Amino acid sequence: MTQKPSYENMSDEQLVQLSLKDENCYYYLIERYETKILRYIHRATNVNKEDSEDLLQEIFIKIYRNLNGFNQKLKFSSWIYRIAHNEIVRQYHKNKSRKTMFSLNDEDDAGNILSQLISDEDICNIYESREKATKVREILSQLPNKYQEVLVFRYFEGQSYKEISDILRKPPGTVATLINRAKLHFKKMAKRHHLA
Amino acid sequence: MTDINKDIVRKIKEDEVRPYSRHYFFLKRSAIWLLFGLSVLLGSIAAGIAIFQLRYAEWDLYRHLGHSLIEFALLVFPCLWLVILIGFMGFAYYYFRHTEQGYRYSMLLIISLSVVLSIISGGILNTIGLTEKLETVFHEKVFFYKGLEDHKRKIWMSPGQGLLSGMITKIISEEKIQIEDLQGNYWIINISGSVWRGRLKPVENQKIKIIGRMAGKNIFVANEIRPWQGRGKQGGGRHSVCPEKGRR
Repeated sequence: MTQKPSYENMSDEQLVQLSLKDENCYYYLIERYETKILRYIHRATNVNKEDSEDLLQEIFIKIYRNLNGFNQKLKFSSWIYRIAHNEIVRQYHKNKSRKTMFSLNDEDDAGNILSQLISDEDICNIYESREKATKVREILSQLPNKYQEVLVFRYFEGQSYKEISDILRKPPGTVATLINRAKLHFKKMAKRHHLA
Repeated sequence: MTDINKDIVRKIKEDEVRPYSRHYFFLKRSAIWLLFGLSVLLGSIAAGIAIFQLRYAEWDLYRHLGHSLIEFALLVFPCLWLVILIGFMGFAYYYFRHTEQGYRYSMLLIISLSVVLSIISGGILNTIGLTEKLETVFHEKVFFYKGLEDHKRKIWMSPGQGLLSGMITKIISEEKIQIEDLQGNYWIINISGSVWRGRLKPVENQKIKIIGRMAGKNIFVANEIRPWQGRGKQGGGRHSVCPEKGRR
């Protein structure tokens, strides 16, 4: 663990191979993706800090168990997001007391996504109004899960259509259709809430 | 944040968590491909038997039965095998989608390719005669199976509509033979002027199909006589009843 700089320069695939030989090296793989996955958990669920860290731990343990199953034709990040997504869905079905799976807790996130979905001219107006940001969160949480998850991956996690296809194991065409429909849904509901 | 990293690595060590072996993933991938292949194979068999039944449905009979072509097509349609084909295509789609790259292809593409593959393979199985053997096996071993044999029996036991079938029990003369039909009734068949399809010759204990008309109680005038299996499309002509005595 003292040779940090050399591990930082290694590719994900190299770190995977090292982790399979020495579990201590897995630390660096976790370090590389921990923040992203934790942020994704916060965006995708409405669990508290402790539960999100528990979930993070379970996700990384699952990733470790499946390291030999990593297909090098995929991007490593897509692969671990896939495992993270599946684990979140599994937990959601296990604890169905939550109304929706995806819940946007971050106001900036809500503003971010709205700017992508509606014309640029509206950005200034939207950012000025906290009430509008709240409405955005409400609208997004009312969308069906299949639309929320693609919007989260596309506009918060910044994933490309191909990466989303690899994460969700859906054809790229289906992903494109889902995103388009999600945007249409959002715009309709935004109009009803006088946001667009 | 680094505490979480250390906690995770510590938990992996304490709980002795081990990565699944490469063999595990190899076996898993192989099993999925095997199940996909099996689904396509079984779909091919279903397609092959359906093709066989459609091929030997004797489409030229629809006029004799007083049906339109569409009505006859609905009668002979191999519904059971098409339902089985659809079922196996569903399995094929499911397993293909669970292969490593299978999710990248649309449902329409996967199912279309599976159907085409099954039909082509079914056609090949049909050509080599395997589906005919399977049809016989199902008819003999599966008590509730109503395949081509049952369909043939229904169609060819319609003397009122000019269709009769049975086994030749006696050669009465050059112009008459006796048959026992599929229901055990005896008929006198007038064969003068009838056409015997294929290389068929009137021989006792031979199973035949007759197109003609009823001429009275248990009396039938034959226009065309076919072998029980197939349509006898190869060749045909008027045969002498006693080939040793008279030649064509």
